[in-house]
Amino acid sequence: MTRGIKGARDARQTLADTRERSSAGTALAGRRHVMLGLLATLGLSLAERSIPAALASSAAPLVMGIFPRRQATLTTELYAPLAAYLGRELGREVQLVTAKDFDAFWDGVEQRRFDIVHYNQFHYVRSADKYRVIAHNEEFGTGTVAGALYVRKDSGINAIAQLRGRKIVFGGGTDAMMSYILPSYLLLEAGLKPGDYETVFSKNPPNSLISLYHGQADASGAGDILIDLPVVRNAMDTSTVTHLGMTERVLHLPWAVRKDMPQALAARIQALLVELPAREEGRAILARAEMTGFGEARDADYDPHRRIIRKVMPSIDLPR
Amino acid sequence: MRLASKFILTVAGILSVTLALNAWFFLRSQNHLLEQQLNERGRVLGHLIALISPEAILGLDFLTLNAYAREVSRQRDVVYGVIVDNDEQPLTSYVNGDDPHIRSSLGVDGPTPDHLPPPRLQTLIRELAALPDVIPIEFPIAHDGRPLGRLQVGISRAELAMQAREQLLQQFGIYAAIILFLSVAIYLVFRYSVMRPVQRLIEVSRDVGRGEFTLVPVTSGDELGRLGETFNAMTLEIQREQAKLHHQANYDSLTAQPNRMLAVERLQQEIRSAHRQQQRFALMFIDLDDFKIVNDTMGHAAGDRLLAHVSAHIRARLRDEDTLARLGGDEFLVLLPRLGQANDARDVADRLLAAVAEPVTLDGREVVVHCSIGIALYPDDGETVEALMANADNAMYQAKRPGRAPICFFTAEMNAQVHERLRLEQDLNKVIARGELQLEFQPIFRAADGAYVGAEVLLRWWHPERGFISPATFIPLAESTGQIVAIGEWVLREAGRQLRCWLDAGLAPGYLAVNLSRVQLREDLELLIREVLDTNELPPQALELEITENILLDDHQQINAVLGRLHAQGLSFSLDDFGTGYSSLSYLRRFSFDTLKIDRSFVAPLCDDAEAAALVRAIVAMAHSLALKVIAEGVETRAQMEFLRDLHCDYLQGYLLSHPLDAEHFTTFLTRCARDSLPRDSVPTFVQ
Repeated sequence: MTRGIKGARDARQTLADTRERSSAGTALAGRRHVMLGLLATLGLSLAERSIPAALASSAAPLVMGIFPRRQATLTTELYAPLAAYLGRELGREVQLVTAKDFDAFWDGVEQRRFDIVHYNQFHYVRSADKYRVIAHNEEFGTGTVAGALYVRKDSGINAIAQLRGRKIVFGGGTDAMMSYILPSYLLLEAGLKPGDYETVFSKNPPNSLISLYHGQADASGAGDILIDLPVVRNAMDTSTVTHLGMTERVLHLPWAVRKDMPQALAARIQALLVELPAREEGRAILARAEMTGFGEARDADYDPHRRIIRKVMPSIDLPR
Repeated sequence: MRLASKFILTVAGILSVTLALNAWFFLRSQNHLLEQQLNERGRVLGHLIALISPEAILGLDFLTLNAYAREVSRQRDVVYGVIVDNDEQPLTSYVNGDDPHIRSSLGVDGPTPDHLPPPRLQTLIRELAALPDVIPIEFPIAHDGRPLGRLQVGISRAELAMQAREQLLQQFGIYAAIILFLSVAIYLVFRYSVMRPVQRLIEVSRDVGRGEFTLVPVTSGDELGRLGETFNAMTLEIQREQAKLHHQANYDSLTAQPNRMLAVERLQQEIRSAHRQQQRFALMFIDLDDFKIVNDTMGHAAGDRLLAHVSAHIRARLRDEDTLARLGGDEFLVLLPRLGQANDARDVADRLLAAVAEPVTLDGREVVVHCSIGIALYPDDGETVEALMANADNAMYQAKRPGRAPICFFTAEMNAQVHERLRLEQDLNKVIARGELQLEFQPIFRAADGAYVGAEVLLRWWHPERGFISPATFIPLAESTGQIVAIGEWVLREAGRQLRCWLDAGLAPGYLAVNLSRVQLREDLELLIREVLDTNELPPQALELEITENILLDDHQQINAVLGRLHAQGLSFSLDDFGTGYSSLSYLRRFSFDTLKIDRSFVAPLCDDAEAAALVRAIVAMAHSLALKVIAEGVETRAQMEFLRDLHCDYLQGYLLSHPLDAEHFTTFLTRCARDSLPRDSVPTFVQ
């Protein structure tokens, strides 16, 4: 079964790491999942056609790309107020787009179809030659996150070294910063290389912990705050699992703009984002996007991420 | 319970059972259908989820699997929906906390958790699947032919049961209405088409029971109509039969005239009518004289024809309003209403005498018969049916007496005689107990030498108040009341006892001749005589039984048999009062008599009347030719005795020779006979 699951995982090429904020969205989307599947597919198709159109002329609206961490419809619902806010404040239309999957989205990044883009830390590090980070997410009042390893309390495992030869389920895929790269880094730090344990992937980070709960693995790799997400708490008895270890804290999901964007515009956008908590309208927009704020971010703020990624993926070539 | 009630209960019962069965089958099939629908819905849902689940299972997407489980569990009639792996381990944790089955199984009153730990969920599912109102269904989940797990769905029958209950209630209501409607309709039809004709039949039956012959109106050609027709036919038949019975009960079949019953009824009516109208009427009793002779000599068929003729002759002399009735045998009753004078009744009686005396030709012979008529008048001779009939009968009885006119009106004296007769009857009941009877013995002597041979036993009644009462008075009375049986028994026993006494005293009493009444000639007479002989150690020859010609008239086989057996035992018989009755010579051949007794009425004129002498001579000659001995009764003169001796009459009896003697004097007589050595050679040898 593990192989099957892994096979499916490879086929999807998901950006699981960026889904850690999906708890509330998943709760809602779960109910609509089946019902709105076809509608989402239709929406994404329309979006794909809309991205080139947005970049067709400089007078065209700014295109804001959001990675498919959630369902396309939900993504639109969550971020439409923010796009409208930016467009209003900038005096220029801001067009919200997303993609049907991570491949399509990443193609958009590679082709620099987005003027403003929101994705995970690994995505940013890999596209730093095309985009410049201007802000980062603050969720639950904090702008940093850490990777963690979880085990069941009744498993008898109380040290990372005991995971040797065990099955570890990670959320999302190898692109997932918090649910794969950071826990893998933790394992490496403890002396366990990828071949020392069996790796399986769940659909997304919450499912990695739920998989552990259902006995599908001996440990779960995910973000440190995953255990407190409502979507997880609603699906399992979180008191039955515990943290086995955590990484250092690193900056949260980035917001970047094209490198060729005028500095003034980029600064204006940064300012508009960071100022949001200070305004009544901004707080509503943040709440709608299931965030608590934006923090200013510079490229250097993601050096720790680069270090960790290089450790976990030594062969990867990261642009600057 | 009334027929209509029984019928309607039966119909309602049948309808109820039929509709109940129908409802049961309907609900059963409906339940089956609903359960099928339920299964189908569960199957569709299950297949859909099973179809989309592999990706989530393979991707360890437990949130999606939970979402599936939630979607399934929240479907109507679904108790639970759980996805388990191949090891039966739940891959979902969602349970519908609002479901009553789950709440009940978990035993919680407050909010129920939406998620359960896998072991607890596994246990819960097993418990729920085992519930009787839960249908557990499983759907395999596979990918590329490789089993990944199963979707377990529990479908609740609760909704189904509720629907069934509601449907049952609806059906019950509808069927109750149908039963009520049909029952009322059937009852009304039954009442109109069945009960009404039946009720009419019942009413007409009651009418028929009361003697009112009404017919049932027949309005239909069905079974009830045919029943009505049959009933009417039966009613008419009963009516005819009743008329026939009425005629048979009230009319004499021989003469077609009213019988005694109708005569009494009409007499009753006439009494009421005469009482109201202060009128007089006459009641006549008519009895044919010597009618028995016609029957005996010409046969009963001829006698019946004679009665019919006489009846017709009488009827022809009466008015229409007069009633002629045959009371029985040769006795008629005539009722003459609205009678002016008593003499009018006499005139009618005279006419009736003449009518009866009209010659009638029977079998080629002309027969003339006379009658006696007794007349009682209302209200002079009685005001009741019983009194009038008794008095008319008495008058007729008087008219019958020898020497009386054939028409006799009832008189007060007759009533006195009747009362006298009643008194005698009452006294006769006590006569033996009081010892008022006494035997006397009149010796019988041999004519040739005057030797004593025996004696005739004569019965005497010495009434303590009225003195001597003649046998001619009380014997017929005792015969008519049956008291003669007890008296006759007493005579036989007393005669036997007396014989024993005389024999014991060394005397030679000869034989004793005892008179027998025809009433005594019963089966037990033989036993009685045997007992008398045995008790007193007497030979059969010690007794001779005297019977009269009248007894033989009956010619009854039973009498023949009794007399034959007694004669065979050695008892001798004598025919008493020969010549006074019908004197049929055939009697002498039919019975084995030993002696023939010539009545005193022939002996008395013997010396003065040549015809009487010739008759006696002929009797003696005839008897001797039949080897019969002859006793002459009533010998009172020496000339008679000499004459009889000359005729070779065998024995003599009469006052000339000896008066009847009581036992004491007869003992003296026997003693003297013994002392004087009267010729004894004819004395039976049994004298010891």
